[in-house]
Amino acid sequence: MCASVARRLVDARVVVETPEGVDFRFRIAGPGQRLWAWSIDSLIKAGALAILWVVLLMLGAIGGESGLQAMAGLATIGVFVSNWFYGSLFEGLMNGQTPGKRAAGLRVLRTNGTPIDLLTATGRNFLRVADALPVGYTVGLITMLLTPKLQRLGDLFFDTMVVSEQRSPTGRPAGLTKNVEPLARSECSRKFSVPERTLAIIERLFDPERILTEGRREEIARPLSEELRKRLGWSEVWQTEGNQYEFFQKQGYKHTRFLLRVLKTFAVDDAPGGRG
Amino acid sequence: MNRERFIRARRADWSHFEQLLGTLQGQPERQWRAVQVAELARLYRSICYDLSLVQSREWGSRLEDYLNDLVAGGHNCLYRTSPASLTSVLKYIVTGFPRLLRQRWRAFALSAALFLVPFILGTIVGVTRPDLAVLVAGEAELQQATESYSQELYTATDERYTGERSFMFGFYVNNNTGIAFQAFALGALAGIGTCYVLLSNGILIGLVQGTMLAKGGTTAVNFTSFVITHGSLELTAIVISGAAGLVLAQSLLLPRERTRMESLRHHGRESLQLALGAGVMLFGAALLEGYFSPLPIAPGIKYAAGSLAWLLVGLWLGLAGRERPVLSDPAGGKPA
Repeated sequence: MCASVARRLVDARVVVETPEGVDFRFRIAGPGQRLWAWSIDSLIKAGALAILWVVLLMLGAIGGESGLQAMAGLATIGVFVSNWFYGSLFEGLMNGQTPGKRAAGLRVLRTNGTPIDLLTATGRNFLRVADALPVGYTVGLITMLLTPKLQRLGDLFFDTMVVSEQRSPTGRPAGLTKNVEPLARSECSRKFSVPERTLAIIERLFDPERILTEGRREEIARPLSEELRKRLGWSEVWQTEGNQYEFFQKQGYKHTRFLLRVLKTFAVDDAPGGRG
Repeated sequence: MNRERFIRARRADWSHFEQLLGTLQGQPERQWRAVQVAELARLYRSICYDLSLVQSREWGSRLEDYLNDLVAGGHNCLYRTSPASLTSVLKYIVTGFPRLLRQRWRAFALSAALFLVPFILGTIVGVTRPDLAVLVAGEAELQQATESYSQELYTATDERYTGERSFMFGFYVNNNTGIAFQAFALGALAGIGTCYVLLSNGILIGLVQGTMLAKGGTTAVNFTSFVITHGSLELTAIVISGAAGLVLAQSLLLPRERTRMESLRHHGRESLQLALGAGVMLFGAALLEGYFSPLPIAPGIKYAAGSLAWLLVGLWLGLAGRERPVLSDPAGGKPA
């Protein structure tokens, strides 16, 4: 079980099938992103309550001691609402986002990818009481680590997940091929164009969401690199025996570098959207 | 069709869709125009097709990510649940809530036992063994209660009344409803917290009651006439929120024919509805406790109002929202 959980965690993606029969993916938000959103929300709550108390008590002071007490009662109800309904109201009415989640680019969704309703939002936020025990959301963190969709108790009982909506850049990853030269015509003895499908595989190898060590990446790159080298008639000869980590280090990750050069040479940045 | 031609042909639709999505997400649903929604749905379907094409031909993960984001946005925009209306909320409180509670009578009975047994024990101890009561409840707590009930709370023309009572109203809402919601939420941890809240509140309230009764005379009358009215809503609501917590605990511990995860989802919403109903009751109880219970009127009137309140709460929870007996057709279809 541990291995399969780990594999899914590294990917941090959830596939949802739409009624149209298409699979699409969500990126699950990690504890760090959620902590960030939570911190922003906590600040907003504290600020709003401070202002509420000051304003109400100033109003109450006009009515003497009795007015002061009445306004303190009203402010206590404000505390109650912010304690129990801040998250519910925002998430329920603003399509799964509190101000903090919006700032952090997160959204709460049902696990089938549809928006949550007010009741669901209320439930998952009420259960914070249980998730926060004994200190600092320990229970919530533990259940998040045990579930592939990183759900705390509130998410499990009300069938929700928190996804990251930071749009993936749609252009070719810019920094990736910065430090390599494109292949020169003179280096290759044969004419061959690398198909888009192969370029996509190379890109996937360098996807930052897949956590690979350099040595492991080099190991994976080798078969593809050798085949491409043959087809392009690339002249330089390598020694490729063994697969020790030290070996790759000594070689300076030649296969990885070669694949990046191929990417730089053949990939045309024509993805839509224009953001890169 | 190759990749370049495909992108050139489809690009206009994609950016149009992106624009439309941005417009619609920026405004409330009731301002959406039918033409816009129809256009969005049409584009959404065609982009779904584009995504599966790109997926199957493996035309680059960046392109796939871009289309994936578009589909996710469209899916989020098109598939949603209808929002709750004020009428449906009112209807739920009047009929749906009592019906739900009667369906969950086992959890209610268990919760009532967890609260009432220590409550009755506490009362007996308070009356017969004051020394023991002080040991359990604490001297300060009982001293304070004795002082506040040994004299009339207010005289007929007390100027402090409005301010103090509003302050107490706010306190009751925050404190009592908070305790009830906690009792519910802690059910998610196998119900240990729920049981603790029920038991500890039961014994404490019982001890205070017992001690007041033991004093006799004005103190006892002041106390009983004060608590009888709002107690109908307050004590019942605490038991109900406990029952909601126990339903959560049961769904976790005894999933029966469902998988554990399914069981959580199945019972989660219903138990929350119970807890929210209890929250509404406690708001009503806070109003009564804040403004009615301490009124400087004859205890007799308060006893009468209190009895009426208990009767009404009992009738509401016991009888409201009963379904008419259905004679035939268990599938629920209507005869032609």
